[in-house]
Amino acid sequence: MIRMPRAAYEAIVAHARQEAPREACGLIAGHGDRIERVYPVPNRAELAVEFFAERGLIPPGRDYRPDAPGAIAVERFFMDPEEQFRVLREIEANGLEHLGSYHSHPATEAYPSRTDVELAAFWPGMLLLICSLREPERPVLRAFRVVDGRVHEEPIVVEG
Amino acid sequence: MAVKILIPAPLRRFTEDRATVEVEASTVGEALAKLDELYPGIRERICESDGRVRRFVSVFVNGKDIRSLQGIDTPLSEGDEVGIIPAMAGGQ
Repeated sequence: MIRMPRAAYEAIVAHARQEAPREACGLIAGHGDRIERVYPVPNRAELAVEFFAERGLIPPGRDYRPDAPGAIAVERFFMDPEEQFRVLREIEANGLEHLGSYHSHPATEAYPSRTDVELAAFWPGMLLLICSLREPERPVLRAFRVVDGRVHEEPIVVEG
Repeated sequence: MAVKILIPAPLRRFTEDRATVEVEASTVGEALAKLDELYPGIRERICESDGRVRRFVSVFVNGKDIRSLQGIDTPLSEGDEVGIIPAMAGGQ
């Protein structure tokens, strides 16, 4: 079970809405099973087209060339590396543990996609929070861990 | 030059759980080679066989991505911090 303050929950939903139809992404920190803070990180998916392509994570027939502005960012996220690194150091400096990441699914359910499962392998066992805006007035936030390609859900309790 | 390498959580199983490792090196490539001497196998998690940093990994010197510096030939000075992180990415 994952516990999180209402402010952190609302920050993720607000970030997801602000970025839609692009995906929003960020890092989460706290202690053990308790999320205390969330940190938005810019999505640079448009600069990572080759990264997705070499893993076969771009659907056939889709035009994801970098000169089609923002196209891939609508269905993918790739955290800005320098900002990701800076935030990880900030989390450490704040005396918190890096617990995982969050991202939004602007038009699909709050469940890890094939892309999510495959790329979670770089950070095994970390928390993966997904915020779905498929029904814009009823956002859904769920938490998962991916271990050896298998998805385990963790129930979320929002406090306060 | 003594430099500090910051090891990301997913690679700490190579470093006996150490979050930082100090090595003597004058370039990023040399620092990664020294790290691999101490902890064999870790460099191939970070670099391709030709030495370039893998596309899903970023390496930083004092917070700057070495892709915007001189890659693995980026020079190091005493006390520099070399950061390493795997990409965080996904999508619906």
